[in-house]
Amino acid sequence: MKNEITVRDIGRECHQLIEINCGALLPLSSPYEETGLESHIKPLTEAEKNRYEASLDGVMAIGIPKPKSKGEEEEFIRKFLSGLRKLFSTENNWTFLQPLMLSLEYCGKCLTCSKACPVYMASGKQEVYRPTYRSELLRRIKEKHIDRMGKITSWFKGNNVELNWNTVARLAELAYRCTLCRRCAQVCSRGIDNGLITHEIRKLFSQEMGIAPKELHEKGTLQQLRIGSSTGMTPAAFKNIIQFIEEEVEEKTGRKIRIPIDKQGADILLIHNAGEYLSWPENPAAFAILFEAAGLNWTLSSESVGYDAVNYGVWYDDIQLSRIAIRHARIAKDLRVKSIVIGECGHAHKASITVADRILTGDLNIPRESCLPLLEQIVFKGNLNFDLKRNNFPVTLHDPCNMVRLMGIVEPQRRILRKICPQFREMEPHGLENYCCGGGSGFAIMSSRNFPDWRSAISGRIKMEQILDTFKDVITPETMKYVCAPCSNCKGQIRELFNYYDVWTKSTIFYGGLVELIVNALVDLKKPFINWEWR
Amino acid sequence: MSIILAILTYVAYAFIIIMYGRKAIKYAKMPLHLRWDLYPVIHKNRRNHGGSHYDDLEWWKKPRRRRFIESILFILKDNFYLGEYFHQNRGYWFVLFPWHVGFILIITLHVLCFFAALTMVFGLPVSAESPNIFGRVFYYSVLITGVGSFLTGSFGSIGMIIKRLTNRDLRAYASPMNYFNYLFLLALFLSGFCTWYFFDPTFSGYMQFWKGLITLSPINVELASAIHIVLFALVLVYLPFTRSMHYITRFFAFLWVNWDDKPNLKGSEIEKKVQRCLNQPLSWSAPHIRSGQKWADLAIEMNFPSSVETKQ
Repeated sequence: MKNEITVRDIGRECHQLIEINCGALLPLSSPYEETGLESHIKPLTEAEKNRYEASLDGVMAIGIPKPKSKGEEEEFIRKFLSGLRKLFSTENNWTFLQPLMLSLEYCGKCLTCSKACPVYMASGKQEVYRPTYRSELLRRIKEKHIDRMGKITSWFKGNNVELNWNTVARLAELAYRCTLCRRCAQVCSRGIDNGLITHEIRKLFSQEMGIAPKELHEKGTLQQLRIGSSTGMTPAAFKNIIQFIEEEVEEKTGRKIRIPIDKQGADILLIHNAGEYLSWPENPAAFAILFEAAGLNWTLSSESVGYDAVNYGVWYDDIQLSRIAIRHARIAKDLRVKSIVIGECGHAHKASITVADRILTGDLNIPRESCLPLLEQIVFKGNLNFDLKRNNFPVTLHDPCNMVRLMGIVEPQRRILRKICPQFREMEPHGLENYCCGGGSGFAIMSSRNFPDWRSAISGRIKMEQILDTFKDVITPETMKYVCAPCSNCKGQIRELFNYYDVWTKSTIFYGGLVELIVNALVDLKKPFINWEWR
Repeated sequence: MSIILAILTYVAYAFIIIMYGRKAIKYAKMPLHLRWDLYPVIHKNRRNHGGSHYDDLEWWKKPRRRRFIESILFILKDNFYLGEYFHQNRGYWFVLFPWHVGFILIITLHVLCFFAALTMVFGLPVSAESPNIFGRVFYYSVLITGVGSFLTGSFGSIGMIIKRLTNRDLRAYASPMNYFNYLFLLALFLSGFCTWYFFDPTFSGYMQFWKGLITLSPINVELASAIHIVLFALVLVYLPFTRSMHYITRFFAFLWVNWDDKPNLKGSEIEKKVQRCLNQPLSWSAPHIRSGQKWADLAIEMNFPSSVETKQ
């Protein structure tokens, strides 16, 4: 069925455009080689299918309610076209107009990018997941309905997509089948960026039609701006958690440390992904232990939004991106810190340090940097002693796309691991050519209906295979292994992957951040810091 | 006929220059955009691992080196060699490369013809027996470039058609325009080949035509040459309506987007541009955006409506 799908078919009236056959997915290595038996995507119920749009592939990321009347359907298409025009206007989209035009107008349709896409390859080459599919779809709609003479030249240019409910609603869902990892852009000789086009499609739906996955918008950026964090954590709850972490550190290490909060004039404002406090409190704890040992002048913020580095706007909405970035900068300004350091969170790195760089002006233009070179300096300065025996287990490094391919932070984390982990080994490929964990662009936190199954079975499949391949000589459960993922979203995705494939039981592969490994090897600590307990 | 050919050629050249110029200006005048870096950034390639200035602690205090010329040379080299295709998609490169070579050589042929004609205007003969070195160099350059263009271009055009038709995936993404482009260029290359092979084996007639264009005294040419001249002029007029400008826009895509890692430092020109952009009003109409407000005002607003249509 998949081989018969073309771009034109997107508007076709049918129950479901493609069927995902788990038996046809990219095979996994031993002991997971029984493809099709390991992977499953729970089918949606008939009631769900009747109520929400899921006719692309039977998976639901957004959950757009189906129209109740012809009038609603027409209004939906009218709003889409209105948003499409705004996407190509200077005032409304100065933020990405030039990159969008350069990517949309000059694709040679050579399909070279397809092989670089982990979603397309892992899915067994489902046509709709091809990086060029959704770009070509947007291109054809734009050329026919927005460009001058578009309708006259439509046959000649092959712009044959029918603009109806199916087309627009499936396009919205399709925008959430790409992790924005931009491997496709890396191999394009013309510099065409299908990841960017996907990003712009998401923006159109969010900024014009108010359509976005609720985990990103309602429970994401809106909640963060209202309550203080996308996790729902209020400033009071944050302070309680910090107190809890201080107690945990004392209980675990015998050290009584005080984590600085709202310290005026500190050198550094450290902002973690708030998910760390709830899911992996050992990560902020390790930062606190290390910064204290290194004698840094630093602080956390308890201001609303100031204790949560996440900025989901970077994936789907420029306005929300700007609001959160400016809020972070204002808090740093009020604290009179010299710089903002982003903790182990990839998208927060990219959002704060590069993408929002051209939003912050004047007093808000406060230097922002990654925690990785700072950790490197602490490790290599020579003031701290490390016991390498504590880290003497196989360790590999997952490169978060946002930090590495999209920001060029490649070497500090590797230098640290080479120094403190005697059995460090690289994945292949790694560095700038790494594969996404499969949870990028918001996928790791999106939990609508059967989307988590899709994420584990398809978008994370190549990462799963990479991890297995890296540890293939020690894959049996007798040897404890560690995947170092210095990014909260990647950790969340790897946790889900490992649960989905029962990796802990079958292969005892653990995962965690970078700073935990550093602290684990600190000689000054009476016992190792990492707690090898699956959660 | 000679006057018509001359006018057509003048108009075609003027048209493509104006149209390409307009497009380039359109891109250049687009507003500053947000950063969207993609690594490796070639001018940072001194680091083997492809890292950026963010590898450094307190990066904003460190000097940043932009190797602009190195970046340009990298793109230029890839314009001719198509290296990414060679490494990632060898089968496609096998036909795409000769097609591109044919195209590049035919443009080079016309540039050479212009200078050869100029040489002739100054009274120096252009031929194999020319007493002047320039005359001999132009003669052989035109001959080799012309024949090379016709052969590689024809091979590439036919190869592209076959590749598109026989590969299911490529065929699915092809439009009638793609096939028209291949056939149009094939006609151009074949007409050039026939003219050279049957009527003008030394390109002397073609160079004389160019001399006539320079001296504003159009001369008559063989019918076959005339057909080739007309086809070439039509190709020039047609090109701005195709994606052919990717030879130029890929410079923009890399230098202005993927490799644009210039930070927005306090008091910089970038900061001034950002402030101008933030003062523009926008009209997006989702519930969480107040249409008509300026970007700057919207971005600091904390009390905005939020109802969305996607409640499950």
